[in-house]
Amino acid sequence: MDYLSKFLKQTRIKIFISFFLGEIFLIVIWYILFKYLKLSDLDIAGALVLFALLFSLFYSFHLTKYLMQPLKTIWQSIMHLAPEAVGVAAPDLNKVKFGHELVTNLVNQVYQLVNVSNSINKEEALKIKDITHNFIAQNLPLPLFVLDPTETIKYANQAAASYMGFSVEDMIGKNIYMLVDMAFPNEDTFDNWLKETKTKSATAIKTWERVKLDVRDNHPKLMFDLAAFYNQDNPDNIETLLVMFDHTKLYSQEDQAVSFMALSVHELRSPLTILRGYIEVFEEELEGKIDDELKSFIEKMHAQADLLMAYVNNILNVTRVDDDQLELKLAEQDWSTVLNAAIESMRLRAKVRGISLNLKVDEDLPKVGVDRLSIQEVINNLVDNAIKYSGKSKEINIDSHLAKDGLIETTVQDFGLGIPTSTMSNLFTKFYRDHRNRSQVGGTGLGLYLSKAIVKAHGGNLWVRSHEGKGSTFGFSVLPYTKLSEEAKNNDENEITRSAHGWIKNHSLYRR
Amino acid sequence: MTDQANQDGKQRTVLCIEDEHFISELYSRALTKAGYKVTIISDGNEALDSAKKENYDIILLDLMIPNLTGIEILRSLKDPNLNPPITSKIVIITNLEQSDEVKADIEKQADGYLIKAELTPHELVDFVNSIK
Repeated sequence: MDYLSKFLKQTRIKIFISFFLGEIFLIVIWYILFKYLKLSDLDIAGALVLFALLFSLFYSFHLTKYLMQPLKTIWQSIMHLAPEAVGVAAPDLNKVKFGHELVTNLVNQVYQLVNVSNSINKEEALKIKDITHNFIAQNLPLPLFVLDPTETIKYANQAAASYMGFSVEDMIGKNIYMLVDMAFPNEDTFDNWLKETKTKSATAIKTWERVKLDVRDNHPKLMFDLAAFYNQDNPDNIETLLVMFDHTKLYSQEDQAVSFMALSVHELRSPLTILRGYIEVFEEELEGKIDDELKSFIEKMHAQADLLMAYVNNILNVTRVDDDQLELKLAEQDWSTVLNAAIESMRLRAKVRGISLNLKVDEDLPKVGVDRLSIQEVINNLVDNAIKYSGKSKEINIDSHLAKDGLIETTVQDFGLGIPTSTMSNLFTKFYRDHRNRSQVGGTGLGLYLSKAIVKAHGGNLWVRSHEGKGSTFGFSVLPYTKLSEEAKNNDENEITRSAHGWIKNHSLYRR
Repeated sequence: MTDQANQDGKQRTVLCIEDEHFISELYSRALTKAGYKVTIISDGNEALDSAKKENYDIILLDLMIPNLTGIEILRSLKDPNLNPPITSKIVIITNLEQSDEVKADIEKQADGYLIKAELTPHELVDFVNSIK
């Protein structure tokens, strides 16, 4: 403050002297013009105005240069230190005449401040930045993660900490995949999107619905919508932003509705079983006693009852799959036996539609590791689809062989309606059914969704090839038992337990 | 009449403990046709008394029956202190969804565990035939 007061005083004096001198000068000029040159009043006035103009011009330049020197010097020092400005040299304080002390003092302060902030280590600098610059992020009531190019968490707000059950400090520096175990309803995961985006775009935005979060063992499962923003040109090594919108209550209510439905569907099983039982009795007792037409009616009843049972089981299994509760026990089985039994149970359903099932199984297939009932459900679903979408064709080919990778592949081929390309990507989604055929073709829309979950839990894959109007081939693979037997050795009962679920884990770290 | 329905020349006996009339009728019919001698009892207490007295070859036991639960009957019949001991093979047939622990517990004591909803009379007969 001392320097400043001194400087202000100096400035006042300089301006006073300048103005005073100027006025004296004008008076002298007037005297000379009046006394010695004896000019008229008008001429004198004109001359005085001219001199005043010249004088003002001179002094305005002179004063500006002097009075602005301190400001210019301080400007120069700050710009010299600022990261954005390039090519600004440090000021030479010796050249500053006017306000030298004040300027020197201020410039020193500026350099000191910069040194101080340089000496603070990076974490504290981040903290200061957090506190002063991230008011919005800190107070945002939505979990927010900021990631660097290696998907390491650079910053997480308080809402994210509360949501995840960790502290902010615990999360910073960790890889997001290690910390946040996300599962998505289909293959379009965050991980996959980010990988693809980095190769294709400079900036991208994406949202996901119904993402599941397995927080920790005793924590309730959370469900949320996710929004991500990616930009490769951000400063400070920030590349991706993630925001979560919690919908646990909403989605669990919807899931509860499904559970309620499952409960009701469960009640259908008993009367259905009884119905099938009596149909069986009829088939036996009336053998040879009724004409072919009536016999075919009973066969149709049998087939439809079987189909109804399959739908009921599909619905119940899907709710189990969603809850991670469908448990499979993989045991050593002869694949030919399993396949034959499944196809046999479908023959009647095919027969009533005039379709024949042609089964071809390679000899010498190795023993497989499967949960017999579930894998038969998969076969039944695929054959059922083939029957439904056969259109006018009357043949379905089922083929099983050993593939090059050592897995046992089974294909179900129909020559019917085929699948349009627009439908393909949705094929394995829950409840999806091609809208064009919905009126002609019945079904729950759950079969493929369930089958995929079951096959994946077996360690295999389910795929489809199709030509609209020509037919489709669905295929799936199962593992030979030798590949699974290592796991079985650790298990007492010679069984391998797997859980079938419809969720795609976000990162390969979590995938089986 | 199947071979399996006879053991040492004697017709094998089956006790069906089931209170759902339609189910017991279907099972009884199929098993009788296959050559077994079938008795149906729908009350828990009555069923237990009969099982202790008659020492059936095979007992088909539903878990949900009046007056005494299937599990209680199972435990009573498998009690090692019973005199005379019961040698009946006990097969649980139920629609109840059990937790894994309960199921494992039951499976240890029983000689079979079948889900009613997945069982046609034919399949039941096949299973019973397979019991030695």
